[in-house]
Amino acid sequence: MPEFSLTAEQESLRDLARKFARTEMAPKAAECDKSARFPEEIYRKAWELGLMNLNVPTEYGGSGLGALDQCLIVEELAYACGGMTTSIIANCLALEPILLGGSPAQKSRWLTPFCSEYHLASFCLTEPGGGSDAAGLKTRARKDSEEYVLSGEKCFITNGPHASLFTVFATLDPSLRSKGVAAFIVPGDAPGIVRGKDEDKMGHRASSTSTIRLEEVRVSRDQRLGGEHDGFSIAMRTLDQTRTPIGALATGIAQAALDLAARYSLERKTFGKPISEHQAIQIKLANMVQAVRAARLLTWHAAWTIDRGQPGTLESSIAKCYASDAALRVADEAIQIFGGYGYMRDYPVEKLMRDAKLTQIYEGSNEIQRIVTARELLRQYG
Amino acid sequence: MEIVVLIKPVPESETRLRASPDGRRLDSEGVRFVLAGYDESAVEQALLLKENVPGSKVHAISFGPARCGEALRAAIALGADAATWIEAPPEGSDDPILAARALASALSSIPYDLLLGGKHAGDDEEGIVVGAVAELLGIPSFGSVTDVRPAGPSGLAFQRPTEAGIESWETSLPCAIGLQQAWNDPRTAKLPNILRSRKAPIAKVDWPTVAKALGSESSPRSLSEEFRLPAPRSGAKMIEFQTPEEAAEKLVRLLREEAKVFP
Repeated sequence: MPEFSLTAEQESLRDLARKFARTEMAPKAAECDKSARFPEEIYRKAWELGLMNLNVPTEYGGSGLGALDQCLIVEELAYACGGMTTSIIANCLALEPILLGGSPAQKSRWLTPFCSEYHLASFCLTEPGGGSDAAGLKTRARKDSEEYVLSGEKCFITNGPHASLFTVFATLDPSLRSKGVAAFIVPGDAPGIVRGKDEDKMGHRASSTSTIRLEEVRVSRDQRLGGEHDGFSIAMRTLDQTRTPIGALATGIAQAALDLAARYSLERKTFGKPISEHQAIQIKLANMVQAVRAARLLTWHAAWTIDRGQPGTLESSIAKCYASDAALRVADEAIQIFGGYGYMRDYPVEKLMRDAKLTQIYEGSNEIQRIVTARELLRQYG
Repeated sequence: MEIVVLIKPVPESETRLRASPDGRRLDSEGVRFVLAGYDESAVEQALLLKENVPGSKVHAISFGPARCGEALRAAIALGADAATWIEAPPEGSDDPILAARALASALSSIPYDLLLGGKHAGDDEEGIVVGAVAELLGIPSFGSVTDVRPAGPSGLAFQRPTEAGIESWETSLPCAIGLQQAWNDPRTAKLPNILRSRKAPIAKVDWPTVAKALGSESSPRSLSEEFRLPAPRSGAKMIEFQTPEEAAEKLVRLLREEAKVFP
């Protein structure tokens, strides 16, 4: 029989995230959204409490959590602010290539000092010419005796303006497509790193995003993760691990939208009664809660699959794709329930729709998720 | 300094309360119990003193059913060095004096210089246990206290805010102190400490042992007869108005005609 209850340990982790989200993040969410402020004081505090490097094993100074534990935390954080959550969990994405492809020596050298203080890292895969076509990336790695020289441009890099460590994917030979890609660890102060301006985004405005240009950045051989042909596989396996928390992030946004809409429907009166008594609103709320619950269960199932040591490619693609579509739909309906007020920036619901939108795009667009889902599905019949 | 903090698990604040099937108590089925805000302030005070007085230890103790374990783990995650669960009788107990006797009896084999607790429990707000334990142990006790600090070679100074002003006190040890809530901004347990607290040992004194030690004092002397929720309040009425004069006029009319508070 499936077991849907959480352990006491998981409940205490969720309590911690909930307390942090509601006391530290939520009060500043609207202000940071409005002014596109990157609230470093909140990120610092998240690091102090152990809410930042969730996937890094404790021996390297992280929190050493499994996928389901991470998802419980991420949903709570996103309930308060999707953008802050993106910046808080960006380290998990950026450090995962080191966890998957790094030697024990590389892990101790790069992860231990990084996790022992407040630091941000960025995952540099996407390029102006394309994100989902990772095998066709243009950033070059040129071999120069014992070193590699990296040149190219990465874009939409979360925490790019603030990161002190980058994991960078570059090709040694574009004609080899995916087999030509290698992964590198690049310190933030490496000569030749040029950070672009902070992008002005539709949502996730408390998070900061920029281009990262690599101008003849020299890295030594021991900064390469895995072999010269392993970069693409490291990138894909990284995304297998980090897609599921995006499902949790989207679920948190959707739950927030549902809660706001349901409470408002009990207060707002039209035609002499609360709008919650109109069937038109009840049907909306019913559809919304169905979507939120399904998103959460798919996310938990994907996390459970990964925690059992399976790749979970199909499960995490389904979860990320479904939950992010659900988040946008639920936020949209929440605005509809709020009516004209929902469209006003003084009310919190329109932010949820803007924040939800990104979850359909980043960490593999939902179109790519559907391709992955179909491929994994058809494999079972072939 | 050996600091003992007395804690009690209480329903978390968002709980939807209901009566138990026998109608005597709060139904604990499906309810999450947490460390009360007053007790969090007491743990925080204990940790501040520990940080100030080298060699100090903080020992959290709770009397009650198995759910005490969760509150004790919360105290360990915050920084308590040890935890002991004193088991309540299997049929439960509503008697604060029985709780005090059980705790005082356990303290005969646990070293203490200072007993701390919330000034009252976060649920029933009786505020009896800390004072009663002190009385049973023959040590002085103080309630509604804030800001306890070391004073002199072996004493403590603390404050007590009252309606008239703030009292400053000094006391020798051992003593017992009930603390106000939230004046010291209790810290949040860090994630690694929460994980460690799950594996920390919790000493248990089972009920038969407690009952044997208490002898004829082991039966509760009071029993809750009935637990019911307050009657739901009738809805508020919002007055719509353009000017303050109009609001006042409408309010007076409602008070006179509907609420009938004056003729």
